[in-house]
Amino acid sequence: MSSLIRPEENAELSDELVELDPDVFSHPIRRDILHLCVVHHLDCQRQGSANTKTRGEVRGSGRKIRPQKGSGRARLGDGQSPMLRGGGVAFGPRPRDFATKLNRKVIEMGMKVALSARVKEQSLGVVRSLEWPGYKTKDLQQRIEELGWWRTLFVTGHDQIPAGLDRTSSNLPMVETIRAADLNVYTALKWPRLILDLAAVEWFEQALGKPQVAPREYKL
Amino acid sequence: MSSVAASRFKATSGRVHLFNLSPATGSQSTQKRLGRGRSSGLGKTSGRGHKGQKARAGNGKPKAGFEGGQTPIVKLFPKRGFVNQNAKVFAPVNLDRIQHWIDQGRLTSSPEKPITAKELLASGCVHNVHDGIKLLGSGSEYLKTPIHITPSRASRSAIRAVEKAGGSVFCQYYNDLALKDCVKGRTDRTDAAPTRKTDIVSQVTRETLAVWYTSWQNRGYLSPTALSKMPLAHDRWRELSKQLLAFKTQEYEKAK
Repeated sequence: MSSLIRPEENAELSDELVELDPDVFSHPIRRDILHLCVVHHLDCQRQGSANTKTRGEVRGSGRKIRPQKGSGRARLGDGQSPMLRGGGVAFGPRPRDFATKLNRKVIEMGMKVALSARVKEQSLGVVRSLEWPGYKTKDLQQRIEELGWWRTLFVTGHDQIPAGLDRTSSNLPMVETIRAADLNVYTALKWPRLILDLAAVEWFEQALGKPQVAPREYKL
Repeated sequence: MSSVAASRFKATSGRVHLFNLSPATGSQSTQKRLGRGRSSGLGKTSGRGHKGQKARAGNGKPKAGFEGGQTPIVKLFPKRGFVNQNAKVFAPVNLDRIQHWIDQGRLTSSPEKPITAKELLASGCVHNVHDGIKLLGSGSEYLKTPIHITPSRASRSAIRAVEKAGGSVFCQYYNDLALKDCVKGRTDRTDAAPTRKTDIVSQVTRETLAVWYTSWQNRGYLSPTALSKMPLAHDRWRELSKQLLAFKTQEYEKAK
């Protein structure tokens, strides 16, 4: 239920409408599901490369630093004990994997909620096609300023991002292009405005909408 | 100790963004962290009390089954017997159950397509085929329809009841592989013949009554009478039957 606006310059305004699947684009808003999806995404992005040396890994010999008895001070073994300055870390971080598992259907629901949220706050637009003629970044910049589409994510449902748009927008900092298959919940929430092309709308409706199942036959 | 919901911002109405998401209230609780000061409630002894085996580092528990020195229950009683590795467990199925399944339309049979382990498992009449199916005669007064069935074994009363109702029973030997093929519906492999004497020949003594696939008494598939009556008898079975029963009429060379 969004209006089509062409990225190309056109004299007349068209009043075309796109019918969106309510299961996908009018899903009840569940912020807790979005939270789960975003946290899962960020956990998987973690490098997990923090590392420390234990008392076994710190360079040094095993010589007893001072005699057991007689010095009047605490007893000590080797110089790499965590008690000492310059010694190892007792239970420090080790390189590990912070990735978590999140049910595929929860992630799909997160995607539906994210798209529906953008539709509800009127920051989701649909375009007939994302083809852009021309080679100059400046032209695209002008057009985007006309439309007021800064901080926009263009989502295409085709296998490849249209070459013209890709080339001209690559140097623009507040514009980004992505394929529908590569879109995740985090990216959909990060960008304030989403512009989908018709192929992307179909892609999402096919991937996220309810499957068409023929009614079961009973032998009676 | 108390579970605290870790929500940072209240859900604001307005645009959804990365900075105003929070988990569902009550879905997340803080971790129990031991040994971090008095006020946490888990400082110093960290919930272990004072001294004793349970307060120690490492496992702190004796091995499983240890009863403090008292002879444990697993050592009180002597070992007994052995486990027969060659034992066969047959899945029983009674006649009243089969009749009920037929009434519901979950099982059908004909002389050309008899009920086998595959149909019984698929329809849910048995939950597991184990080493084969044994047809038992409990509830034979409920059997009305003629059924044609090829189990691994059958009891005498079951055979009597099925044939009275006009059906047929033929007991076929299935080893592990043959049973798996039967259940999966594979027909490319040949089913093996029985090799053990107890499976082939009748050994009727006062104490034991073994299975015999060459005997008509149990409708064994290798008995000559069964081969003449079965619509699906293979030539290989006829040959096998002849060879397995040859001992009855064999003559031996007498020593000079």
